[in-house]
Parts: sequence; structure tokens; C-alpha cells
Amino acid sequence: MITTLVGSYPKVAEGAYSTKLIGAITKWQRQEVTDDQLEETCQEITTAVIREQEQAGVDLVTDGQIRWEDLVTPIARGLEGFEINGLSRWFNNNVYYRRPILHKAPARRRPILADQYRFAARAATRPVKAILPGPYTFAALCEDRHYNSFRRFALKMAELLHAEAQDLVKAGAPLVQFDEPAVGFGKTDLKLAVEALGVAARGLKAKTAVYTYFGSLDGGLAALQRAPVDVIGLDVVSDPKTLAALKRVKLTKEIALGCLDARNTKLESVTELHALFAVAAKRVPLDRLYVNPNCGLEFLPHRQALAKVKRLVEAVRSFKRGIRYQSKIGI
Amino acid sequence: MLLTTSVGSLPKPDYLTKARSQARKGEMDAKRLRALEEQATREWIAIQEGLGLDVLVDGEQYRGDMVAYFAEHLAGFAQSELVRSYGNRYYRKPIITSRIARPRPITVEWWRFAQALTTRPVKGMLTGPYTIMDWSFNEHYPSRRAATLAIAQVVREEARDLERAGAQYVQVDEPAISTRPEEMDLAIEALGIVTRGLRAKTITHICYGDFKTIGPKLHRLPVDQIDLEFANRNFELLDFFKGRRFPKEIGLGVVDVHSHRAESRDEVVEGLRKALTVFRPEQLMVDPDCGLKTRTPEEAIAKLRVVVEATREVREALGNGRGTGAKRAKR
Repeated sequence: MITTLVGSYPKVAEGAYSTKLIGAITKWQRQEVTDDQLEETCQEITTAVIREQEQAGVDLVTDGQIRWEDLVTPIARGLEGFEINGLSRWFNNNVYYRRPILHKAPARRRPILADQYRFAARAATRPVKAILPGPYTFAALCEDRHYNSFRRFALKMAELLHAEAQDLVKAGAPLVQFDEPAVGFGKTDLKLAVEALGVAARGLKAKTAVYTYFGSLDGGLAALQRAPVDVIGLDVVSDPKTLAALKRVKLTKEIALGCLDARNTKLESVTELHALFAVAAKRVPLDRLYVNPNCGLEFLPHRQALAKVKRLVEAVRSFKRGIRYQSKIGI
Repeated sequence: MLLTTSVGSLPKPDYLTKARSQARKGEMDAKRLRALEEQATREWIAIQEGLGLDVLVDGEQYRGDMVAYFAEHLAGFAQSELVRSYGNRYYRKPIITSRIARPRPITVEWWRFAQALTTRPVKGMLTGPYTIMDWSFNEHYPSRRAATLAIAQVVREEARDLERAGAQYVQVDEPAISTRPEEMDLAIEALGIVTRGLRAKTITHICYGDFKTIGPKLHRLPVDQIDLEFANRNFELLDFFKGRRFPKEIGLGVVDVHSHRAESRDEVVEGLRKALTVFRPEQLMVDPDCGLKTRTPEEAIAKLRVVVEATREVREALGNGRGTGAKRAKR
């Protein structure tokens, strides 16, 4: 069982690594601090966030996506062809993202995230995974004024994200994760999502994952397993039907079990988590099981986010002890 | 017919914004802050009267966030550390930590204060139970439904107290209602608890995300009037109502609250005339799209002025029997 996070981590922490990022960004927007000065603050927070995960005992850490305003803006800004537009609701949350508008054929002139990845990997003592938006979700969250074809847009994004993923692998990422919250959220063209993931993930010389959250994979899990990725991330908190699908569908992939509610502060009990682990453990061998919150932790205040990370690690350790004990006494 | 009003919040004058920030830092006592809030309320009542609005609001000079304000005055809520809502914007999201109760009336004293300043009716302004639930963390109630229904009871008490104090209009805003279409029935049930048995005219303001999904249930909202944004999408929303006999009154948002520019009188007259091809004049109240608190006081006044002037022009045209293109109006 590998403990990990989905991606984002609180950017500010009143009781820990400070709220200085807010002021730094405000000053940067007013051009009172330079790009380098802002980058220095981002690096400081990133280092603190990685250290927290490592001290909590997370096996596979993330950089916390401290520089990310949302899942799409960093990529849209790093590519040619997009203009960042007004606020739109982030799925069914009281959180907003800026909707990119595609107004000409998108192009990628240089790596976008590789330097940031290298920094995080150097700051960490444990493996750091790389995270990208999935091509289907990226296209779904933009306004397309160029292709006027969702399919062509999604497949073009898949190509560009594949190139970006290759550079992340070159930078040392042992696992590249594609976030696809739009898959299973409302009506989904699963065939296209799988096809686009095929373009984005195929041939990468690292492990690959697709993470879904907020929606339901009831009815979508079997189809999504056709995507050429190693790991499928399931949010079993937002819709209980996804857990039912996990119990029912024949599994061919490794599973990442999104088992803590990263959208509510209520702390799960170890018992509750063990019950979910047990369901997954019946379906996949433990060495093919990742466990993580159901989505990025940035919806939570820092104190509760950290408490959940610690609880996750605690629950995994006691679960493994329980299994070792059972096998020792022959149950 | 065609009474004019505003949706609820009005901008805070600079002196009040400064005072609130000083009060937060402990540099100003509550009494002094209160005096400035009263001063701002007095000014806004005088401005609304001067502009010629028919139904007034107190302008919510003493409120910050529309959910946090109620959470701060109810028992059962705690305040969280900062969470991000978008970009570089953070807020303190309320946490439901124990049974929700209303130790004493929350808005009634402010309503009385505002109503004593004018002979025109002042609306009682509340935030709806579904929105308070959706914009809070919940650690106490077993489900979103249980939390919503518990909040509905305290909002109901507040609505009754406003009515008892003499409010002729009680507005219960539910901007979150379009977030999760699958929970629309819950929102309707909870709002019904709040409005049941009230003799005051009841209004709800909702911001729509995906109107197609909530539109068909709109007529089931248990209020007399539904206030909607029409201007910011160029009155396209009228198409939804075309050809149906909508059984409720409509609050018609005719100016966009997100733009700095004040619409011209002709633009707003044009919008109103379009609306009168779909609605009966006696079915309509006219207002801005949403609360004006994000505009400057000058911008807000300019927008309210054009609402009043355009409505007056259309009203006069109707009164002179020249008609507006609305068949029923010619009767």
C-alpha cells in the first residue's frame, strides 16, 4: 500500500509555514516584487509542504501545486493559443477557476513544469510524482473558439500533454498522473477520454496514472481501464456508487483509492478507513494499491488537511500490522 | 407594477472599509464601528430614496460574507483557518461543529433601524439554508441533508421575526442552488420550511450555473418571486420562459453587476421591452442582476439610477397605452 496525495496542498498555513504567499502574490501583481522574488517564496512554501508530507510519512509526495491557481491555468499559460478568461465554477464546488479560451491552434514551445519538478525532486527525500491535467478534462474546461470540435481539441491537447509528460519523465518523475475530474462528472464521452489518454500516456518511460474525482465511475470504471495507464484513481467518497463499482468490476489496473474526504473538515476514523481499505484489498493485491484523499487537499484549511494526511498514514500502518498479524496466526 | 428594487448588498464607503479592517486588528472598538455602519446605512437609504427606488434594502453595510455573517451569529458554527476560493483570494469558511441554534434574532434590529429611516418598504434579507450548508464544512450532522434541514429551522425563525417586526418583503437568497442539480429537491424542501406560513412577500435570488438543469424545477421554489440575472447574458434567459405561463413573479436583473460601465437608459429599456414580450408587467420587479457590493459606490449609484429611469420610461409608455410590444399590456 502506497500512501500519496492527489496533488494540491494548502498554499497558506497560519499555524505552520505562514500566509506570506498571499502578500507575495499581491506585491508581484503590483510589480513591487520581481518574478525571482515570488519564485523564491513559492520554493520556500513548496519545500515546507514536501517536508510536511515526508514527516507525516507519505510515501509518494507531490509538490503541493503551490504555483497552480487551478488545474488548467498553468498549462494554458505555458502553451500558445490560449487566453485566460473570467471565473467559472470548479465542478460542484464553491471554488472558481479561470476558463481558458482557445483562439488559435495551440502550440508548445518549451517545457512548462519540468524546472518546477526538478526543484521539488531536489527538495524531497522521497519520490515526487508529476501531475498534469488530463486531455479530456482540459478540453472540457476550456472554451474552444478554434477547432469547434471537442474531439479534435481533446486529441490535440493529448499530444501537447504527452510532450510535457515526456519532459517531466526526463526530469526524473517516476510517475506521471493525469487528472480527469471531468470523466464521470455528468455525461462523459468515455471512448474519447480513453483515446485521448492513449495519446497522452502511451510510451512514457515512467508509471502513469489517471485520477478521477468529484463524479462517479459507476458504469465508467470498466471502460476507463482500457486507457493505457498503470493506475486508476477512484474517488469513493463523493459518490458511494463508485465504491460499488470497485466491488463489482473486474480489475486489470492498479487502483488508487480516494478514501478521505478532502472537501470536508470532518476527520475520518481509522475504523472507517480500514473498512474502505478492506474493500479495495479484496479486489487488488496490496502492492497494487495506492491510498490517498479523494481529491486535492487545497479545499481544506491547513490544520485539517495535515490532520487528514497523518490519519491516512496512521490507518495504513495499523491496517498493514493487522494483516501481518492475521497471516502470522493463519487467519 | 414594475416596482424597482436592488438585490441586497451595496458597496461599503471607503471610511467603513477602513474601519472594518481596523476593527479586525483591534484598533477600533465595536461601538465606533457600529456608529459608522449606521452612518453608511443612513446614507444608502437616503440615496435609494433620492434615486426613486420603490423597495429598499439596508445595503448590508454590517455584513461581510453572506454566509459567514449568519454563521458568526448562530450557535453551532466555528471559523476555519484560511481557504482559497480562487486566484489569490482566501476566506474563512464556517465549520458546523455542533447543533445549530439561533440564540437571538440576527438581522431584525438592523432591519428595524433601516425601516425607521424611510416610509418605503425595506426588504428583510436572509441567506438560504442550502447555501449556508453548501458554503460551510460540516463536522456535526450526518449528511448534507440533515445539515440543510437544521439550518432551515433557524432561518425560518429569523424570517418569522422579520415578519413580526413588520417586514413586507422577506428575501431568502440561494445562490448555491445551481451547484448540484441532484440536490435541487433538498434546496426546495428547505426553502419551503423557511417560507411556510409567511404572509410577507417572499423572494429568492438565485445565480444560475447550468440553467437547463435547474430551469424545469424553478416554478417549484416555494416563494412568490424568483430574482434572476438577465443582463449579464444579454437576456438570453428569456428564451427559457418564452411560451410558458410562469406562475411566479420574476425579479428581473437588468444591469450587469460585474462590469464597471453603467448601461445606457436605452439598453435597459430595450431589455425591459424584450422581457415584457414574455412576462406580464404586474409579474415583474426590476433590479440589478445581483448584489452591487463589488462595485464602487459611484458605479452602484449609476447603475441603480439607470434601473429607475429606464423602468419609469417603460412604465409611462405602458400607462399611456402605447404598449411595449407586449400583447397583454395592450389589454
